[in-house]
Amino acid sequence: MLGGEDKMDSKYYETWEEYLAQHPELEGKPTQAIAPKIERYEDLMFTFIMDLLL
Amino acid sequence: MTDVVALTNERNQMFRDLFSGKTPKRVPISNPATQDFAIQYAGLDLAECQWDLTKLEPVYDKFCQDFITDTYPGGSIRIPSHYQLLGSTPIIMSSSGFMQHPEVVGLLAEEYDQFIASPYDCIIETILPRLYTELNGEPGKVAMALAKAMRVHSDDMAYLGTIRAKMNAKYGFATMGAALTEAPFDFMADFLRSFKGISGDVRRYPDKVSAACEAVLPLMVKKGTLPNPSMLGYTFIPLHMAPYLRDKDFAALYWPTFKKLIETLAEMGQTVQLFVENDWMRYLDYLYELPENTIMRFEYGDPKLVKEKLGKKHIVSGFYPITLLQTGTKQQCVDKAKELLDILAPGGRYWWQADKSIINLEASGPVVENLRAVLEYVHENGTY
Repeated sequence: MLGGEDKMDSKYYETWEEYLAQHPELEGKPTQAIAPKIERYEDLMFTFIMDLLL
Repeated sequence: MTDVVALTNERNQMFRDLFSGKTPKRVPISNPATQDFAIQYAGLDLAECQWDLTKLEPVYDKFCQDFITDTYPGGSIRIPSHYQLLGSTPIIMSSSGFMQHPEVVGLLAEEYDQFIASPYDCIIETILPRLYTELNGEPGKVAMALAKAMRVHSDDMAYLGTIRAKMNAKYGFATMGAALTEAPFDFMADFLRSFKGISGDVRRYPDKVSAACEAVLPLMVKKGTLPNPSMLGYTFIPLHMAPYLRDKDFAALYWPTFKKLIETLAEMGQTVQLFVENDWMRYLDYLYELPENTIMRFEYGDPKLVKEKLGKKHIVSGFYPITLLQTGTKQQCVDKAKELLDILAPGGRYWWQADKSIINLEASGPVVENLRAVLEYVHENGTY
């Protein structure tokens, strides 16, 4: 996670906690392995989108 | 330890020293010539090489071999494939193969409130569909275009990263990561309101401009944050609009969120390199206020004044005029390098970079010979 997510206030960006709350099917799954992957691709998409405007 | 590993370690230490305010072993050097220059130097077609990246490894190999530099002389975020797939209007390839940025308006003046309410939502829903034609249409078509563009961008970056790793391993360059972001005001200007648009906004809607800069600040911080902030590496921030503002507009609209951005990154342990474009001499007192050891690469201005005012707190770079490489003799080019070394190197806190990047290469011109002479001079005479 890169930081600043708590101030994003966007429906197009979810923190891991927000994502997990939307996906109860992940309960009991190895979240220690899932969380960094979900966060990584959320951040990669953010960087890609922002690079289109830089 | 191999010689090349030792060379990498030596160069990494030079930059660690430089970025922490210590005097390094010698003045570190970065070749100002770009990937575009390297392709032309290799005698290859610019457009073709940017589409077919497999042609670039020998290009970089020759480029790295022939010009002295302590950092990898390449890298580009302007690879044409994903721009093409997205129907880009703000970044397009010219007929000569250079990637160019025409004046565009991604955000209308009447949309400020929408942007201020949620910048990222506004970017996704309003700005990108206006600037990228393939992101404006049926949801399924947009999803497919975005997926293809992100995949090709990822593949291109990975391929360029492989070349970079090979060159680093062969030539022992310093291994520094970098992130890119912008001052909030510049972000609002460049692709959103345009140079002309923002220039009118500062008079017509200064409160909206100020609120928009505040709203987008968290995105600029996030964009400028490396996954693992560290001293060896930096956030690169090119600065655009300040020289075109009145002092009072700079103080009210540009400076507050720009300063917060730099301070926030510095508090995270992230080194920041500013590309101080155009002439910022009337803002030197502001720049002094930024966190210690902020790197400032200047385009124009008075090097003596900058060294005097900023040189004990910050790291100074730039000023070397690349136009001289085209218009001057070899001796004039070397003399200019000596002049800047004499002014800026004493006491450390100096990184040799030019005033801007070299993009175009006139095959019959003197740039190659002059650039090589300057880099060699600084390398041989920059020892502390």
